[in-house]
Amino acid sequence: MIFDFTTAALAAMVCWSAGSLLSFFVRKIPVLKLPALLLSFAGSLVMVAFIAFYWSILDRPPLRTLGETRLWYAALIPLVGFLVEYRWKISWLKYYCMGLASFFLVINLNHPDVFDKTLMPALQSPWFIPHVVVYLVGYVLLAASSVTAVHNVSLQLRSKSTANGESVSHYLALLGFVLLSFGLIFGALWAKEAWGHYWTWDPKETWAFLSWLAYLGYLHAYRYKIEKGKLQWYLALSFIVLLVCWFGVNYLPSAQNSVHTYTQS
Amino acid sequence: MGIVRRGWFQPPWEFREASLFTAVTVCFGFILQYTASGQGVPRVYLPVNAIVLALFALLVLCIGLAFRESATVKWFGGIPLGLCLIVAIAALSMIGGVFPQGEVKPGSPWALFGLNQIFSSWPFALTVLLFLANLGLSLSWRLVPFSLKNIQFILFHAGFWIALSCGIFGAPDLQRFVVPVEEGKDNHLGYVMESDIPQKLPFSIFLKDFTLEEYPLQIFLYDPQIGQPIPERSKAPLLVRKGLTASWDGVDIEVLDLLPFALPDKDGRLHPADKAAGIPFVKVRVKTPEGTKEEWITTGSPFVETRDAEVGSYYLGIRPGTPKAFRSVVTVKGDNGQQINATVEVNHPVDFMGWKLYQMGYDEKAGRWSQLSLIEAIRDPWLPAVYLGFFMIMAGNLLFFWNGIQQKEVAS
Repeated sequence: MIFDFTTAALAAMVCWSAGSLLSFFVRKIPVLKLPALLLSFAGSLVMVAFIAFYWSILDRPPLRTLGETRLWYAALIPLVGFLVEYRWKISWLKYYCMGLASFFLVINLNHPDVFDKTLMPALQSPWFIPHVVVYLVGYVLLAASSVTAVHNVSLQLRSKSTANGESVSHYLALLGFVLLSFGLIFGALWAKEAWGHYWTWDPKETWAFLSWLAYLGYLHAYRYKIEKGKLQWYLALSFIVLLVCWFGVNYLPSAQNSVHTYTQS
Repeated sequence: MGIVRRGWFQPPWEFREASLFTAVTVCFGFILQYTASGQGVPRVYLPVNAIVLALFALLVLCIGLAFRESATVKWFGGIPLGLCLIVAIAALSMIGGVFPQGEVKPGSPWALFGLNQIFSSWPFALTVLLFLANLGLSLSWRLVPFSLKNIQFILFHAGFWIALSCGIFGAPDLQRFVVPVEEGKDNHLGYVMESDIPQKLPFSIFLKDFTLEEYPLQIFLYDPQIGQPIPERSKAPLLVRKGLTASWDGVDIEVLDLLPFALPDKDGRLHPADKAAGIPFVKVRVKTPEGTKEEWITTGSPFVETRDAEVGSYYLGIRPGTPKAFRSVVTVKGDNGQQINATVEVNHPVDFMGWKLYQMGYDEKAGRWSQLSLIEAIRDPWLPAVYLGFFMIMAGNLLFFWNGIQQKEVAS
């Protein structure tokens, strides 16, 4: 391959590291702001380009294996960090996001993905991409919300909590919930076309429903004016349910009959 | 701090009463399940379930509107009870999400409490019913008097109410039959998953042709001792093409030639054959420390024996690729004389007389020579209602998203 994964991953991580390094000095040398942003952004751009290239040589969207979903997270997570900085002027999140993206890339570097073009007939559907992409973006937002919440909890423990931080975790959770709802319904509409019924309580469906309920619960608790501080704990922990749904389901006794387990690679 | 703690059941009721009420409901559900010897909620079919659901909706609406000032009704339609019921539904769903659902030994504790079929058990049904009541009450207060300001709330909550209630009340009306059809024959009998006794369908399916497309052949080195292929150096599955090279420890191979459809004559010489009868042959060069050899290998078919190449104590073989697409060309005739010609394919079901026909499977042992196609016939009269609910939820969510995005200021 002209543009192989190792090169792309290393290039992205170099961009992110260099961008982060420059950002540290922005307060002292404001001129560095633009190059820092461009470098960090370039890291994600490299990953987006790699996904596009990988897609074209695979002849199918690279969304089938757990490793392939990690590629998407690596490309998208830093973008949320940049968005949050742009909108809420909170800069620490982007470092975490770039760190997490690099972590996903390192996992993929250590476990080279199976280079397999095949896609089973049931996955060859126009619903495949919207269903998975909506979920990916939703998970990315909720991961960011959860980390912001953890950060808020740590600030609380040091009696330094800010309303701005709490509002970031809230809006990220709100947007994430909307995307989870779309993912869930797209999945149901697709299931009707491919497997004959929109809902079969398949373990993955059940866990997706549970994650949705967790955030539904959060939004109602927020609405009921439960203390924002306590809700940061809730948000921080809700993400665990999502993690079970993303890959934990594969290890549960109920997974034996699931149509959703990722191809292991 | 001077805050006087509110006593139990002292108004206004909140989370404590809601948790107790929810816990009692779930416990009562389990007791009911146990006393019914593990039998789930009785299945009620159309039109009875629709009438019951309509009456229930009407009752909730009337109570909501007539007693909107009552503290108890307010609590019943309020967030504390709603949250507790969400937690209960989540907890019950978690049982279904962790433990395999389905048949277990009758009389086992799992079966007696309905844990192996949690989603049709009494505790789940009662919790969902209360949840629908709670959601319905809060909805009634936003519906009357109607205001456009409430549209996002109404779309999301009414959509959820409709999808959930119709999905659950309508579940018994879902009919699924597997219809096995052989090429050149028709069949009007279908089988449900739980029984071997066929049932007559209101239509018959005639299978004109079944076709299977496969991905490229896969080549692999096989250890008969461990009964598994040995991963190649790149760890990727090897899709056969002319010029493909692959290597394992001490073994290098190259694909020299590929005949996708061929047959051997009685002297073993290969000749191209037509697509229906021909099978793939691959010429490989195998290099080992012991020497180099060239050999033809084949997948075999129901009519021709499989041929692998011996490589020391291993074998080099090819197998058909995984299925890429499979489809059945059928003629469906209804009892009312209606008739259609159609192609049924995975992800492309065909609509006929209120039924949807799905390509489900085929004789996997015979692969592309399969004469048998399994068609699944499904009828769900409640589908339009559930979809209406789905689209309302999505519309409500779009507004929610829009409002969320617009609020740039700090959340209050």
